[in-house]
Amino acid sequence: MSSVGNAVTRRGRKGVDGWRWAGRIFLLIMVLYTALPMAWMLLTSIKSGFAATQFPPQWWPSEPTLASYQKLLDPQNSVGQDFLRFFWNSFFVSTVTTALAVAVAVPAAYAFSRFRFPGRQFLFFSVLLRNMFPAVIFLVPLFILMRWLGLVNTHGSLILTYLTFGLPLAIWLLKGFYDNIPVQLEQAARIDGATRFQAFLLIVMPLSVPGIIATAIYSFIGAWNEYIYAATFLTKNDQLTLPVGIQRFFSENTTDFPGLMAASFLMSVPVVVLFLVLQKYFVRALTEGAVKH
Amino acid sequence: MTTITGQLSAAPEHIARRPNLLRQMWMSRADYLYVLPAIVVMLVVIAYPIYYTIDLSFFKTPPGLQLRDKIFIGTENYSAILSSSVFWKVTLNTVIWTLASTLIAFVLGFGAALALHRDFAGRAILRAVLIIPWVISAVAASYIWKWIYHSDFGVLGAVMVQLGFLDRQPNFIDNVNSVLPSLIVVNIWREFPFAMIMLMAGLQTVPEQLLRAAKVDGASTWQRFWHVTFPHLRGVSTVTILLLAVANFNSFIIPWIMTGGGPSNASHIWITHIYELAFGRQRWGVAAAYSVLLFIIMMVLGYFYVRALSGNESKEHGA
Repeated sequence: MSSVGNAVTRRGRKGVDGWRWAGRIFLLIMVLYTALPMAWMLLTSIKSGFAATQFPPQWWPSEPTLASYQKLLDPQNSVGQDFLRFFWNSFFVSTVTTALAVAVAVPAAYAFSRFRFPGRQFLFFSVLLRNMFPAVIFLVPLFILMRWLGLVNTHGSLILTYLTFGLPLAIWLLKGFYDNIPVQLEQAARIDGATRFQAFLLIVMPLSVPGIIATAIYSFIGAWNEYIYAATFLTKNDQLTLPVGIQRFFSENTTDFPGLMAASFLMSVPVVVLFLVLQKYFVRALTEGAVKH
Repeated sequence: MTTITGQLSAAPEHIARRPNLLRQMWMSRADYLYVLPAIVVMLVVIAYPIYYTIDLSFFKTPPGLQLRDKIFIGTENYSAILSSSVFWKVTLNTVIWTLASTLIAFVLGFGAALALHRDFAGRAILRAVLIIPWVISAVAASYIWKWIYHSDFGVLGAVMVQLGFLDRQPNFIDNVNSVLPSLIVVNIWREFPFAMIMLMAGLQTVPEQLLRAAKVDGASTWQRFWHVTFPHLRGVSTVTILLLAVANFNSFIIPWIMTGGGPSNASHIWITHIYELAFGRQRWGVAAAYSVLLFIIMMVLGYFYVRALSGNESKEHGA
């Protein structure tokens, strides 16, 4: 379909050219705006502390070094120990959050998509509304709740709170997927004698695997990048997740710019790799709810 | 067995409505089991905090959050907020931050989506590159840009000096006048990809035949965009702008990590201000009152959000 469209636009060369060039130039500017800061992060991370603080800056590192990465990833020295522990904490919290969010969201999203029970609209929108409220509103009461439950300084406090923003998003994304799976498939299964739950488990679940993958990536990235709850609930160094750990560490070592850039890069690697590998699901899921095909 | 409760057909609910709501709820009791876990989690971590915040906003609670010693002071926290000059400063900042970030991110995302709509070599790579800022953590983004803006060694200032625009390293984020725009640039950097993704998906729903028909009728590129493409994107655009506006109104990490609201409150927005009042200055009551005000604002915005979304929904059911 799009190839036909292309052929048509190509025919009208004259009128289109101006717009096409404008598009190309705009795209070039946007790519520079996006990529240059990331490139500068990488270039800084392979400089020595001395080389990073020169004026005018070394546009290209004259003596590239991986010293910052070695320091951060070396389990023998104390910086490396901390960094690797933050990394593990982030990984643990994000994984558990993701598993729980998906497990709770799948039945809920399915129900919102298929069943017509009284209060469905109200419940769905109150779930969605949660997404609109900033973490800060919930911070103090949740802090009190966690203190009461004895969860301050544990990863349990983070997993529980991450569910609050992971769940509504997960339900919304998954509902979009279920809405686009034809009801007739389940009806056929029901006629063949399957119970409603069997139809859900055996027919719909396998079809919604892409949606579940996408939802899982979103939950994972959201939890991986979360900062404000982690900064409030955790004070002990060995519990910190990456965003908070890096902030604490570099507020003490304010001039280690290559180290800071290397840490920022390493922190971004898992989520960027996840995104690049599973891009297809990622983009589709987000737009499924907002755009109807 | 489950034939009564299992209403798999997409029968319009308003027909089966009324006679007896309780009976209907009882009949669909199996349906509620599916949503029950979600509702329980939501109640514990949402309804309870909201109730508690409202409660706290009428009390003066001592530092350290010693709840036993809180004193009822009525609406004093609210009047303290409305009479402080910081409140108006922070509100103005929030409005500028939210409007500028939302509109510019939307326009840039729209432009990028249009430019990427046609297939060309390297399109997939460009698209991936453009999305990455949205995926990486806001903490990492804040540090990257803080380093770029650095008042001694920042590369942006150095480029400007080298090109002869300035004669010495400028102070982007330690300056009352330039701090807010500088942070907005960072925020847009992280957010325009979201608008781009949404609109790229939207563009795929624009019927190709209509564009061709318009072309045959002699419509110019601009006319085709304005009269065919744009009206089709109205639904996606509304949702995108609302989501961006909510996200921007709620942003915290970028201003907090980059400036902490300074210098002299020039980059404080509501959320960072509330956070500082609570966990920095331990004025729990005032922070709670702020949260309640914010809650009310969000309810108003939420009303429009739900309306925009259910607009989509009813169209879908109608089709």
